[in-house]
Amino acid sequence: MVNKFSIKNLDMYYGDFQALINVNMEILDKEITALIGPSGCGKSTFLRTLNRMNDLIEGVRVEGEILLDGENIYKDIDVTKLRTRIGMVFQKPNPFPMSVYDNVAYGPRAHGIKKKAELDEIVEKSLRRAAIWDEVKDRIKKNALSLSGGQQQRICIARALAVDPEVLLMDEPTSALDPISTLKVEDLAEELKKDITIIIVTHNMQQAARISDKTAFFLNGELIEFDETDIIFSVPKDKRTEDYITGRFG
Amino acid sequence: MKKKINFKEGLIYGIIGVATLFTIGILVFILGFIFSKGLPHLDSHFLTSQFDSTSAYVDVKLSEGTENPLGLILGEMTLKEKGSIEKQVIVVKDIEKTSLAESAVNNKGQNLAISKNDIINRIEGENVEGKSVDEVNQILNSINADKVTLRITKQGGGIFPMLMTTLMMIGLALLFSVPIGVLAAIYLVEYAKPGRFVNLVRFATESLAGIPSIIYGLFGMILFVMTLNFGYSLLAGALTLSIILLPVIIRQTEESLKAVPDSYREASFGLGANKIYTISRVIIPTAMPGIVVAIILSIGRIVGESAALLLTAGTAAKIPSSLFESGSTLTVKAYTLAKEEANIELASAIGSVIIIIILILNALSKLLSRKITKI
Amino acid sequence: MGKDMKLDRKNELKEKLAHYLFLFNATVAIISVAAIAFFVFYRGLQPFIPGNAEGTYSLIDFLTGLEWRPGEGKFGILYMIVGSLLATTGAIVLGVPIGILTAVFIAELAPKWIRTVIKPAVELLAGIPSVIYGLFGLGIIVPAIMQLSSQPQGQSLLAVILVLMIMILPTVITITESAIKAVPDSYREGSLGLGATKLYTVFRVVLPAAKSGILAGVVLGIGRAIGETMAVMLVAGNPIAGLPTSIFSPVRPLTTNIAMEMSYAFGLHQEMLFATGVVLFTFIIIINLILNRITRGSELK
Repeated sequence: MVNKFSIKNLDMYYGDFQALINVNMEILDKEITALIGPSGCGKSTFLRTLNRMNDLIEGVRVEGEILLDGENIYKDIDVTKLRTRIGMVFQKPNPFPMSVYDNVAYGPRAHGIKKKAELDEIVEKSLRRAAIWDEVKDRIKKNALSLSGGQQQRICIARALAVDPEVLLMDEPTSALDPISTLKVEDLAEELKKDITIIIVTHNMQQAARISDKTAFFLNGELIEFDETDIIFSVPKDKRTEDYITGRFG
Repeated sequence: MKKKINFKEGLIYGIIGVATLFTIGILVFILGFIFSKGLPHLDSHFLTSQFDSTSAYVDVKLSEGTENPLGLILGEMTLKEKGSIEKQVIVVKDIEKTSLAESAVNNKGQNLAISKNDIINRIEGENVEGKSVDEVNQILNSINADKVTLRITKQGGGIFPMLMTTLMMIGLALLFSVPIGVLAAIYLVEYAKPGRFVNLVRFATESLAGIPSIIYGLFGMILFVMTLNFGYSLLAGALTLSIILLPVIIRQTEESLKAVPDSYREASFGLGANKIYTISRVIIPTAMPGIVVAIILSIGRIVGESAALLLTAGTAAKIPSSLFESGSTLTVKAYTLAKEEANIELASAIGSVIIIIILILNALSKLLSRKITKI
Repeated sequence: MGKDMKLDRKNELKEKLAHYLFLFNATVAIISVAAIAFFVFYRGLQPFIPGNAEGTYSLIDFLTGLEWRPGEGKFGILYMIVGSLLATTGAIVLGVPIGILTAVFIAELAPKWIRTVIKPAVELLAGIPSVIYGLFGLGIIVPAIMQLSSQPQGQSLLAVILVLMIMILPTVITITESAIKAVPDSYREGSLGLGATKLYTVFRVVLPAAKSGILAGVVLGIGRAIGETMAVMLVAGNPIAGLPTSIFSPVRPLTTNIAMEMSYAFGLHQEMLFATGVVLFTFIIIINLILNRITRGSELK
């Protein structure tokens, strides 16, 4: 196993407020890493530092290092290229108000792919990888907003996969979905892990336990404990982790 | 516990009702006045004719083997001249299918078709004013040639030039102001960080919205008409209008850009799309209905504008043949008719056309706004 | 593994250029305001500067004169300023109460179906061009006043006041209505919960809470009234001299002075028209500054 991400002494500030405090973490390639913790603990903020989505927010400052395959992503790099390597799926399904096809083809087109045949192939492949091809192949020209919430979320996953990312960041991807759709997305994550690294923020501890290889517990901007999921959920080393997973707070 | 309204409350309810009825009543009254005076004038002649009458000599070939070789069915008409002198003239009532009147040529050899409602002043040099239809037909029948020379007068009184000028003004003013307004709004919503510059732009747009047309007119006159020497012209008018439109377009576009959910921006950036791509492929298409509403509101403003155009585009009642020629829009013409010729009837006829245009524009923007709120 | 993430200079340059393009267009509004102020003041103040090519005129005589006789070189606008102010005041006094009450009806009392009829009507009233109001004034209001008045003509201060009153209605109604709508429902519930009637609640709680918004509507109305030109020009009478002595006197507001004579004026006459514009513009700037105060103040709250 190789390191995909190495996070070293990471501090992050929103203006005067320090949102992440000295986070150190090694994330392995082709594993699912779950980030858990109570609301406002910094897990989503941490996820968004990994593809520099926080750059969009005013007054954000990052110190320390995040290495992707050994390259510091906060040095002089092209953020758009970084984001093609690291896809993202959001809390609420957010397909664009256009057809399923145009949604999935959006990323490739943004990076200059224009040939119809090539796009067709990418769209089909991505929809198949997101396990939604069979459901939408007949209405690929329909507006994506006409689909159900669960389908929309898998369209968003397909859209992220279409640019062939090495890492997929998922920010509570199932919190807006019904149980059946949730299960489909979870199955999908386990399937995808064969090829790519997945980092998932979740509120749902069963979900973390079900699908992740490693689990990280955040509290008040600090990484409290990071270990094999089995260990975190059976013999956590830190009292606070134990309190959280046994539901004593949060 | 029965509901009781005491006298004082009843009185206040009454006053509120009267105020509301007054507001609505005024609107109905105004529309009724303009339409009752104006609508009877509205016909295809009114919409498609020139404003001024024009006369010309034309040669018409006579068709062979027909009962009426000229093919014109004539009638008599009384014409009111200035100073309320009345005179009787011969007018073309209808044209037979066999007639060659459509391919008549003027003395420069250009085609100038005779059409319905044209007045015939002279036949082969002979003045026919005051003659009866029978007399004129006799003159025509006595002609023994393959063509006849007529002096005809195309009747004016139409608003076609003003319609065209209004359309040109709309096109030109939007051409300047829409790109500037939309790009400015994009800057304010997508790029600018809150601070002094944004406040300054906001202050400027608010100030522009508060400046009355006449001041815009003065400015346009000083800068475009005089300093840049465009003269009273289509261009000076359109440039002045485009500044008037800026606050409308910027504000409306800003609103529709702000209504685009942030999740669309995140999704696009998350896929590695850059900012221009995100703006052009996701944000603008999503905000499009709002931008179209901005354009519709602008068209309404152009159609209604008069004071600023009076001082920049002038009052010529013809279609400007270049950017540097004067032309009067419908509204400006309605004003000059009322003010300088005291012709309220004709001014109201133009007023009816303007109100109909405004009604259509209002309905369109309503329809679109409903579409926007659905998203 | 590990695609290259090197900075793409060309792409960066493109983004920067786009940024500056957007920025430039945003400055157009600022440039426009500055240019308007500069050109109007620059040209309009020329006649008061010694050594002006077209001749000079005393600023005091200009501002205090009661005669406008370009042929005789008399350019006094005091009677126009008075006319503009009287007309605006009259329109506000009559129009604001009607506008506020109509807004109260629309926002608080009207059943939904009536609202769906009235609101488009008010919008239409706002969209009707000035010239149409002028036509209406000339065709209906002026003849009616002629019946009442001892003056030979119906064009008068009263006609101007009535036309302007109608024209400010949509402004006052729309702004007041949105100010009323912005009052939180908890205020109404608080008052109604204490057993107050609906009317009592509207006049004692809702309207006071919407005060600054309503005030903004009134100031906007003043701006619209004082700047209105075409409608006023058709019904004002536009005399060449004299302060108005009654509501039946003809008046010559500042705006119509500019629009009426501009097409044929030249030399000093033209510059004095520009100077009239400066006086009008000064009024407008004062009104806008007041408006700015009011809206900023309510935002801070």
